[in-house]
Amino acid sequence: MGLLSILRKLKSTPDQEVRILLLGLDNGGKTTLLKQLASEDISHITPTQGFNIKSVQSQGFKLNVWDIGGQRKIRPYWRNYFENTDVLIYVIDSADRKRFEETGQELAELLDEEKLSGVPVLLFANKQDLLTAAPASEIAEGLNLHTIRDRMWQIQSCSALTGEGIQEGMNWVCKSVNSKKK
Amino acid sequence: MGCFFSKKSKRKSGDKEDRTPTTTTVETTTTVETTTTSNAVPLGNSTDEAPKQYSWDKREKVDPKDYMLTGLKDVTVGRLPGKLNGQQFVIQECENCNIYVLDHSATITIDDCVNCRIVLGPVKGSVFFRDCKDIKCVVACQQFRTRDCKKMDVFLCCATQPIIESSTGMKFGCFQYFYPEMAFHFKDAGLSIFNNNWSNIHDFTPVSGENNWSLLPEASAVQDFVPVPDAESEFKSVRISNDPARSIVPLTKGGRRKDSEESCLFVFFAGEYTTANARKMIDEATAKGFNSAEDLVEWITKGPVIALELNGDGVVEACKNIANEVFSGTKVFVSDNKNTSSRDVDSFFNFADMQMGL
Repeated sequence: MGLLSILRKLKSTPDQEVRILLLGLDNGGKTTLLKQLASEDISHITPTQGFNIKSVQSQGFKLNVWDIGGQRKIRPYWRNYFENTDVLIYVIDSADRKRFEETGQELAELLDEEKLSGVPVLLFANKQDLLTAAPASEIAEGLNLHTIRDRMWQIQSCSALTGEGIQEGMNWVCKSVNSKKK
Repeated sequence: MGCFFSKKSKRKSGDKEDRTPTTTTVETTTTVETTTTSNAVPLGNSTDEAPKQYSWDKREKVDPKDYMLTGLKDVTVGRLPGKLNGQQFVIQECENCNIYVLDHSATITIDDCVNCRIVLGPVKGSVFFRDCKDIKCVVACQQFRTRDCKKMDVFLCCATQPIIESSTGMKFGCFQYFYPEMAFHFKDAGLSIFNNNWSNIHDFTPVSGENNWSLLPEASAVQDFVPVPDAESEFKSVRISNDPARSIVPLTKGGRRKDSEESCLFVFFAGEYTTANARKMIDEATAKGFNSAEDLVEWITKGPVIALELNGDGVVEACKNIANEVFSGTKVFVSDNKNTSSRDVDSFFNFADMQMGL
């Protein structure tokens, strides 16, 4: 599912712009996901030092996807990108069990952020293609997702590498953006 | 929202709950939602579990423990060629071990290891060292990452810019290793032997006045850092060689100062024998005393080209001769003269760097 078809599924908004923010720990697969959405080569991806952005435009309506570097040192900069976010996509490396606690911590802090209040969140339980990947249900339980009351959320199993599960996740993203914009 | 995974939850949640009326103060067991994967009541319910069968639901179940090395001490251990076959591998809490992962894999994480010597065969994705100390290793991967590591010597082949974070005493040299199956492993992992960014490291936590990383001395021999496996071990059947001339990945000087002012650009265009030709060129040039300063694979419309920067006094003439004598039937580009050759090199590699970044 390309960025353009996502754009076309989105209902036009007064500000004519939809902003998607891609966050998560380093090495989670955010950039691979972004490149997949843009139908670009994913075999040669560099660790993100700052951020990557993809923009598509159609009939005066614009979609921006921001992929921000997730190293511990640069997470304080995430807040610079919160403003006007329509939906948050949080990418989790399902096969990095050692860092489940850390990713849960970062997610909890994001959901407490004033500037992200009420913003729908799609959690991609990524890297399902890997052997030690925990299923989405286990991750949902470990992160206590069922206690999220203040916004729409969805968890989706995927492999950014194979592309599986991405379409389903992005369908939810479109629906959540459209329902908010009514 | 508390996090089950975390041992302590952040103070913020507690405060907010008092002030904002929309968040509940206790976790209630009476839930509106019927599923734990979504609260998308207004949008209708959609779980991703039962109905959809992804490739990972259908594949044969394997025991994850076969792909992990945990808590080992004072042993020689690893995986023989064919034992991993592109799967993920995990190494954790090992001390004073010699670890030989002699197969291609999807991704490898190495956590909490101390005083180990490690060889990692070609990794399709990332190699990520966390909380490790006193490691000497040989690694081939698409991405190289470290966090909270100390004192590591790394002979590296990396397709992208390596990164370190909160790490000190990190030293890097050009990948040098050979075992017969390794060439296939590189192919299986989708790694090019000509695309090696081993010497330009990005440090996420630089300290002013200090260097968290440096390059290993040029003459460093791998076997002084990572020994060949014990003759009595399971790895005795693998014909490993540490002869630098036999290394699957050609030795490059990386960011080191070049020996000579003169460089030459030599480009092999797409074709059936591109890789073999480029390898042959490197051998010819090396035999004549020239260094390959950098080599690179880049995708163009017809297919990948392999470009070599060769360096040394008289290299342009030598390259032209080699092109005529050895590669007369092949489509190649060679710098024409030594006055314009460094411009050839700069133009090509600046363009290539741009293309190969995001």
